[in-house]
Amino acid sequence: MTPFDTTRADAPDPDAAQAAIEYCYDRDWSDGLPLVPASQPLVDRFLATTARNPDEVVGELEQVGRNCTVYLAAVNAAMAGCRPEYFPVVLAAFEALMRERAARGGGWQSTSGPAPMIVVNGPVRRELGFNTAGGAFGPGFRPNATVARAIGLIVRNAFGIRPHVLEQATQGLPGRWSICLAENEEESPWPPFAEDGGQPAGTSAVSATLLRTCEFVDNRHTADPDQVLWDIADTISRTGSLIFKETSAGVVLCPEHAQMLAGAGLEKKAVQEWLIEHCGRTGADLRRAGKNGLRGIARFADPDTAADEQFSRILPSPRHVPIVVAGARNAAISMVVRIFGEWSGTAIPVAEVTR
Amino acid sequence: MPNQILDPTGTTAAQAATATAPRAPRPKTLTGATVGLLVNTKQNAAPFLDEVGRLLAERYGATVTMARTKVNFAAPAPEDLVKEMTTNCDVIITGIGDCGSCSASAVADGIAFEAAGLPAAAICSDAFRVTADAMAELQGAPGYKYATTPHPVAVLTPDQVRARAAQVLDDVVALLTDSAA
Repeated sequence: MTPFDTTRADAPDPDAAQAAIEYCYDRDWSDGLPLVPASQPLVDRFLATTARNPDEVVGELEQVGRNCTVYLAAVNAAMAGCRPEYFPVVLAAFEALMRERAARGGGWQSTSGPAPMIVVNGPVRRELGFNTAGGAFGPGFRPNATVARAIGLIVRNAFGIRPHVLEQATQGLPGRWSICLAENEEESPWPPFAEDGGQPAGTSAVSATLLRTCEFVDNRHTADPDQVLWDIADTISRTGSLIFKETSAGVVLCPEHAQMLAGAGLEKKAVQEWLIEHCGRTGADLRRAGKNGLRGIARFADPDTAADEQFSRILPSPRHVPIVVAGARNAAISMVVRIFGEWSGTAIPVAEVTR
Repeated sequence: MPNQILDPTGTTAAQAATATAPRAPRPKTLTGATVGLLVNTKQNAAPFLDEVGRLLAERYGATVTMARTKVNFAAPAPEDLVKEMTTNCDVIITGIGDCGSCSASAVADGIAFEAAGLPAAAICSDAFRVTADAMAELQGAPGYKYATTPHPVAVLTPDQVRARAAQVLDDVVALLTDSAA
C-alpha cells in the first residue's frame, strides 16, 4: 500500500478524523474502540446493497420499546468498520440472531453476558474476503471482525442496551461482539453448516446463536477417533456450565479432527449422536457440584444420594450439539462452544446484492 | 459544508426521559385491600412474595386474592394478565427482580399496573438498582420507587426468605399506601 501524499489537498485529515472519533465517544455510541464516523453518503452505499426499505424493522426488543430498522443497522455497520458490501451479511446475521429465543428475550441484558457466534457459509465468504482458515475465532480479518462488531453496536445503539445500565453482565466473556466464523467448507469432509440450518447446498447463508464461552480441546495425541470423541465429551460434560436438566454445546471442529472422524466413516449426524449418547455426568458427580436435584428443569443441591450411580445425559437432540468445521489444517485443536439457551436451527440466506 | 455524523441510536432528544407515566392513587391503609402477587419464576420469588402477602394479611388486614406467575421473566407482563389482575385486585406486588432482564421487567410491570390504576410495589435485589432505574426512565417514569432486598436472593434458605420478606414489608406498605392523603 502506498502512503498518502500528505502534501496533496485531498489527503485525509487526521485531525478531522480524530475529532470525529471523539465526537462519537462523547455521545456514548462506542463499544470502547474507535468508530468510523458514519455520513449519509457512506450509509447510502450500504443501503444500496439491499432491496429492503430503510424503514423496515429488522428486529425489536419489546421490553425496552426499541427496534432496529434497515437504516439503523446500516449506520451501525458503517460505524463498526464494515465495507458497504458486507451489509447483506450483517442483515442476515442479525436476522439469524433474532431467531434465537434468548436474543428476543432477556439475553442482551443477561448477567451471563452472552456473545453471538455467527457462522457464514457459501460463496459470499470468498466474494467478501472472509477468513475461512487459521485463526477462525479472530482477530485479523476485516469482514469477520466488523460483521460481528456491527451486531454489538446495533444492540448497544439501536436497542439501547449499554453495559452497567440495561446490560448487566457479571463478567461477560472474551470474544463478545467478535466471533464471526466462515466455515472452512473447502477442508470440511461434510456438507456446509447452513444445510443443517435448512439451506440448500451452495447457498450463501448465515447462522447464529449465543455463547456463554468457548473451551479448546487439544488432542494431537491419538489417531483413534473414539479417543478424540471421548476427549470432546469430557469437555462438554463439565458441571460448571450445567444449570438446567439439559444443555446445548456446539463443537467447532478443526479440519484435522473432522477429517479423522469422517475417515472413520462417521457422518456429522453420527458424531452428534455419539456425543448425545456419551455426554453427561453421574449423580455423584452432579451432587458433588450441588447440581443433582431437579425441580422441573432447574437444578438444585439435593442431599439425596439415591441417584449417585445413575448417568444423566445432557444433550437432548442433534440441534443441541451443532457441529461446524473451522480453522487451519495445521493442528488437531477444536473448540467446544457453550450455547446460551439453544440454537434455533435455522440459517438465513444472504440476499443477492441488487446493484 | 461537511457531512453530518449520523446518529446510530434512532432516538431524539424529545424522547429523553420525561415523567409521562401515570401513578395510581394510593389508599390510606391496606386494611381490607385485595392484594395480587405477580411472581416472575426466579428462584425464591414465589416463597418470598407469598410471605410478603401472608404478612400483609396478618399485620395489615389485607387479603391475598390472586397469585399469578409470569412465564417469561424478561418480558413485560402480558396485557390480559395485567387486565385480569387489575379486575381482581386493589394493589399489586411483583418480583423478585434478581437478574439483568427480570429486574428491569419487574419495574416495567409495576409501572404498567400504575397506568392501569393500581398501586404496585416491585421488589428487586439491590444489585440491580441501576438497570431497574434505567427501565423506569424508559417507561416514562424516571425516579419510580420500588423496594429492594440485599443481593443475593436465589441462594437463601426458606427461613432466610421469610426474614427478608419481613424486612422489606415496611417499604412495600409505604409504596402501596399514602398515609398522608
